[in-house]
Amino acid sequence: MHHSKSPLYIIVLLAALLPSLTACHEQEEFSNDAMGNFDALWTAIDEHYTFFKYKNIDWDSVGNAYRARIAPGITSTELFDLCGDMLKELRDGHTNLISGSDVSRYWIWEQYPVNYDRRVIDENYLNFDYRNVSGIKYQILSNNFGYMYYGSFENGIGEGNLDNIFNYLASSDGLVIDVRSNGGGYLTNVETLVKRFITQKTKVGSLSHKTGPGHDDFSKPYDYYFTPDPKRIHYSKPVVVLCNRGSFSATNNFVSIMKHLPGVTIVGDTTGGGCGLPFTSELPNGWSVRFSAAVISDVDGQLTEFGVAPDVEVNITPDDKAHGRDTLLERAFQILASQRGGM
Amino acid sequence: MLLCCAATAGLAVPASAQSDTAAQVLRPVLHMFTLDVGHASLLDSYLTPIAYHGQNFRLGYEHFQATGFNPERFTRQLEVDVDYDHTHNPAGNHTMHSLMAEARWSMMHRWRDVALSGTQLMVGPMTQFRGGVIYNSNNSNNVVSAKIHWAVGVNAMAVWNTTLWGRQLSLRYEGSLPVAGAFFSPDYDEAYYEIYVGNHHGLAHFGWWGNRFDLTSYLTADFRLGGTTLRLGYRGRIETSWINHINTHIFTHALVIGIGGEFLSLSHGKKLKPAHRIISPQY
Repeated sequence: MHHSKSPLYIIVLLAALLPSLTACHEQEEFSNDAMGNFDALWTAIDEHYTFFKYKNIDWDSVGNAYRARIAPGITSTELFDLCGDMLKELRDGHTNLISGSDVSRYWIWEQYPVNYDRRVIDENYLNFDYRNVSGIKYQILSNNFGYMYYGSFENGIGEGNLDNIFNYLASSDGLVIDVRSNGGGYLTNVETLVKRFITQKTKVGSLSHKTGPGHDDFSKPYDYYFTPDPKRIHYSKPVVVLCNRGSFSATNNFVSIMKHLPGVTIVGDTTGGGCGLPFTSELPNGWSVRFSAAVISDVDGQLTEFGVAPDVEVNITPDDKAHGRDTLLERAFQILASQRGGM
Repeated sequence: MLLCCAATAGLAVPASAQSDTAAQVLRPVLHMFTLDVGHASLLDSYLTPIAYHGQNFRLGYEHFQATGFNPERFTRQLEVDVDYDHTHNPAGNHTMHSLMAEARWSMMHRWRDVALSGTQLMVGPMTQFRGGVIYNSNNSNNVVSAKIHWAVGVNAMAVWNTTLWGRQLSLRYEGSLPVAGAFFSPDYDEAYYEIYVGNHHGLAHFGWWGNRFDLTSYLTADFRLGGTTLRLGYRGRIETSWINHINTHIFTHALVIGIGGEFLSLSHGKKLKPAHRIISPQY
C-alpha cells in the first residue's frame, strides 16, 4: 500500500498551503451610520473620481471640511444634503448622490439661457408638420433646408430608420441638426449618427480610465475611430449643429466630434460639458453615487468637461423671443445659405 | 449487485461504443443530474464595494466513467453546470444577478482500499472553463462585470462505498482546485465602451493562486435504489480574485439533490455474460 500514501500526502500538503496562497483580498467596510456612510462616499470618490487634477480640487481638504459638519444626531436628510453639497465641489453634472427621496446634482446649465423653445420650432418652422422616427423629428423646410431634432441619445437609432431619414433629406440644400436640451444617453448612438457624416475611417477622440485608486493613476489615452458603412446613406451637404447648455454628456461628445468634421458648423451656446464616463457605486445605507471614472478627450486631446464652444455663438434675442423666432435657427439658415453657392 | 444494477439500467440504451469485448470489460457511465439550492455571497468591486447576499441555484450534470485504457486505475469525469445567484445589498434596495456556466473535465488515477475496505482515492489533472456575467441594474457604465476563466488544476475524489439499511451507499468528497490559467478582467475603471471601440490591451491575465483562487468542495451521499441513484449532498464554492485593484469574492453554499444512475450501452441482441467484467467509476 506504499503507493497509496503518495497522493494523500500531496493533497494534505496542498491543503496546508492554500491559506497562504489565496487571492482573497480584504474589502474595506464602513459602518452604516452617518460617519460611516460619509466616509464610504468620500472614499468612493477619492479612489475613482477622474478630474481632481484637471479641476484643481484638494479632496482631502474638502472631506475634512464637510466631515467636521457632521454633528451627533444628524438626520438622514441633513446627511444627504451635506453629502450632496460636498459632491457639488466637484462641479460635475455626472456626479449625483441618489437616495430614495432625492438626487443631488450639479446642473449648472439650469442657470444659463435655455436658448430653445420647442413650441416655437413646432409652430413657426415646422407648422406642426414633421416626420418622426427613432426619436428624431425631421422635415425639409420651405427654404429647402433640412431640419432634424434629436432630443435624447437614449433613444436608439435604427440604421434603417436613418437610411429613410437621409434618403428623404437628400434633396435638401443643407441640414440643421438640433441637439439643444439633449441631456445625453448612449455613446453608441453618437457613433451611429456621426457615421452618416463621414466618408472614411475618422479619428474622433481618445479614451482614458483610472487604473488604480491614486489620483494620478490613468491609462495611456486610447485613440478611437469611427468607420462609416459604405452601404448606408450619407449626408454630404453643409451641416449646422445647434446646441445649448443643456447639450450634455453624450450630446457634448457628439458636438465635439461634429465640430471637427469638414462642412459642419456649430451654432448656439457652449454645450453643458460632461466628458466623463460615469460609474456607479453605493453606500452602506443603500444610497447610490454616480461619478466620472473615465474620460473622453476630443480629437485634439482636449477635455470638454466644461463644454464645447460653438463656432458661432448665438443666443435667442428678446426681440426674436417676443416674435416667435428662433435666433439660433435663423443664424443656421444664414450660414447654410451662404454655403449654398459653394455647393 | 453492481452487475445487476448496471445491467438493469443499461439494457434500454441501444448504442454500443463503450464495451471492450476483447478484454471482456464493460464500463458503465454514471449520469447524474443535480439541482443546488443554497446561499450566495457576491462581491465585485468593479460593480460595488458592498457584498450582496441571496440565493444560489444550480443545474448540473455529471458524466463519470472508467477510462478505456487501464479502466481499473483511471477514471474520467465531465461536469457541466449553470448557476444563477439572486442577491441583494444589505440595505435591501438593490439587486445583483450572477449567471455563470461551467464545464470541467478531469482524468484521475484511482487507488482502491486506501485506508479501509471499500474506499477509493482518485487524483488527477483537470481543466475548467467558467464564464458568465454579474449584473447590477443600479449601475451606469459599470452595469456588468463579465467573467471568463480557463484553468488547469487538480481534481481529487475520496469515495467510501458501504451499505445502509441494506442499500448501497456511496459517500464521496470531491475537490476541484484550478492552479493556473487565464482569465478576463477589464482595468480598474475601464468602461466596456472602451473595449467596444477597440482597446483590448490588458484584458487577459495569467491566473494563479496569487491573483485568483477557486475551490469547489462537493460532498455527496449516493443511495442506490434499484437502477436509480439518488444523491444528497453539499456543494461549496470559493472564488476570489484580485486583479487591477478589482476585488471579487463569490461564495456559495448549497444543498444538492440529484438523480441518476450507472448505465451501460449494449448492442442489439448482445447480452451480459458472466465473463464480462464491469468496472464502475465510483463503486
